[in-house]
Amino acid sequence: MASALSLRDARRHARAHFTSPAERRGLLIAFEGPDGSGKTTQRKLFKKWLQSEGYDVVTTKWNSSELIKPIIKPRKNARALSPEEFSLLHAADFRHRVEQQVMPALWQGKLVIADRFLFTGLARDVARGLDLDWVLKLYTPLLWPDLVFYFSVSPDTSGRRVTATRTPNYYESGRDVTNLDDPVESYHRFITRVIKEYESLAVIFNMITVDAEQSMSDQHYRIRELFKEGITRPWSDWNEEAVAEWLMVAGGE
Amino acid sequence: MTERSASLSPKSATAAGTLIAIEGLGDQALVKAAKAELDDVPRAMRGGCSVWDASGIFGDLVIAADDAGHASARTLLLLYAADLAFRLRWEIRPALNKHRVVAAAPYVGTAMAFGRAAGIDVEWLKNLFLFAPRPNRIKTVPAARGARDRSGFVEFVCERLAAHPDGPKRRELRDHIWAELKR
Repeated sequence: MASALSLRDARRHARAHFTSPAERRGLLIAFEGPDGSGKTTQRKLFKKWLQSEGYDVVTTKWNSSELIKPIIKPRKNARALSPEEFSLLHAADFRHRVEQQVMPALWQGKLVIADRFLFTGLARDVARGLDLDWVLKLYTPLLWPDLVFYFSVSPDTSGRRVTATRTPNYYESGRDVTNLDDPVESYHRFITRVIKEYESLAVIFNMITVDAEQSMSDQHYRIRELFKEGITRPWSDWNEEAVAEWLMVAGGE
Repeated sequence: MTERSASLSPKSATAAGTLIAIEGLGDQALVKAAKAELDDVPRAMRGGCSVWDASGIFGDLVIAADDAGHASARTLLLLYAADLAFRLRWEIRPALNKHRVVAAAPYVGTAMAFGRAAGIDVEWLKNLFLFAPRPNRIKTVPAARGARDRSGFVEFVCERLAAHPDGPKRRELRDHIWAELKR
C-alpha cells in the first residue's frame, strides 16, 4: 500500500531525529538473563537512580502487551502451546510493545528500560529446539538496544533462587520439552540449556556481562559505571529500518 | 532433554497425504470451495477442512480492551502464523499422517498476499511460514459478488488496519490483497 512517507524519506527522517545534536536522544537499555539472576531488582534500582539523574524513564516488561498478553496467558495456563506457537505469540507481543511503547518513548527522547528483550525469546526458543535463524528473523526489523546488560548466573544459582520461594510453572520449567514430571528437575535441565544459549548470544551480540553472583550493591554500582561509559556511543544505523517502518506502517508519530 | 528437531522443512510433512490450499477472500467462499474439493475425494480419504482461527486467537483479539493498542500488519501476521501452527498441529498434520486429503482454507498464500499488500518484505514472509508444509495443490477463489461474506481473515485485517487513523482504506487494501493473490 502506498504510504504518505517513502521508505527513503522515513529512513532519513529517523536518522535526522536520532542524531540531532540539539536534543537528548532516546536510549534503550535492555536487562537480560535467566530467571533468578536478579535483573528485575537491578532494573528497579537502576530506574530510581536514572530518575534522580533527571532521565525520563519508561519500563517495558517481557510478555506484557495489553493486546497480546490476554491471548498468551490462558493458553499457557492450559499448557496448550507448542514451541512454534509459544515463539510466534511472544514475537507478536514483542512487536506490539515495540510499536506501541518503545518506539514512541524513544522518539520523545525518553530512556526505555526493557526487562528482558528479544534475546529472551531467542534463548528460550532455541532451548526448545527451534532454529536460531528462524526465530531471529521473526523479530526483524531489529531494534538494537544502546546497551544490553546480561546478568550471568550458573544454573545452580538460578535454580536455587527460583525454587526458594515457589515452584517453577510448566513453561518456565520447560516441561513441554523435557518430558520430566518434576518441575524442579525439569527447571534445572531446561535452564542449563537456556543459559548456554544466553552465553552464546552474549558473545554474538556484544552484551555487557554482569556477574550476578556478586552482591546487589556491587552490581548496581558497576551498572552505573557501565551506563556512563556506554551512553556516549552513537545511534546505531542498524535501527534505521525499524524506526522507518514504525514511521510508515505502524502509525509513527 | 528430549531434543526436538524444529519442523522447518516445508517439503517433509505432506509426504503422506494431500494438502490442498484454498486461498482467497471471504470465509464462506473459501469453505464452499474447500467442500467442493473434498466432494471429489472418496469419503474414506477425506481429512476435513481446516479454517482460519481454529485456535481462537483472533477471536480473543476482538475482545481485547479498546485501549490495548493498534495491531500492525506484522503483528497480525505473527498471530496468523501462530494460528496456522495450531491448525497444522491439531487438524492438518494428523489428517496427512493418515494419508487423507485435507483442505486448508485459507493457508499460507492468503497471508503472504496480505503481507505483500501491506508492504512487508517477502523474505520476512517466507521465513515466517517456513514451518508450514508446501501444499500439493493451490486453488484461489474470489469472494462471491454481492455476498455478505465479511468474516474471513482478509476482511478481518482490512477492518483492523483501516481502523487506524493513518491506515489504508479498507476497500483499497482488500483490492490490493486480491491483486497479490491473483499474481
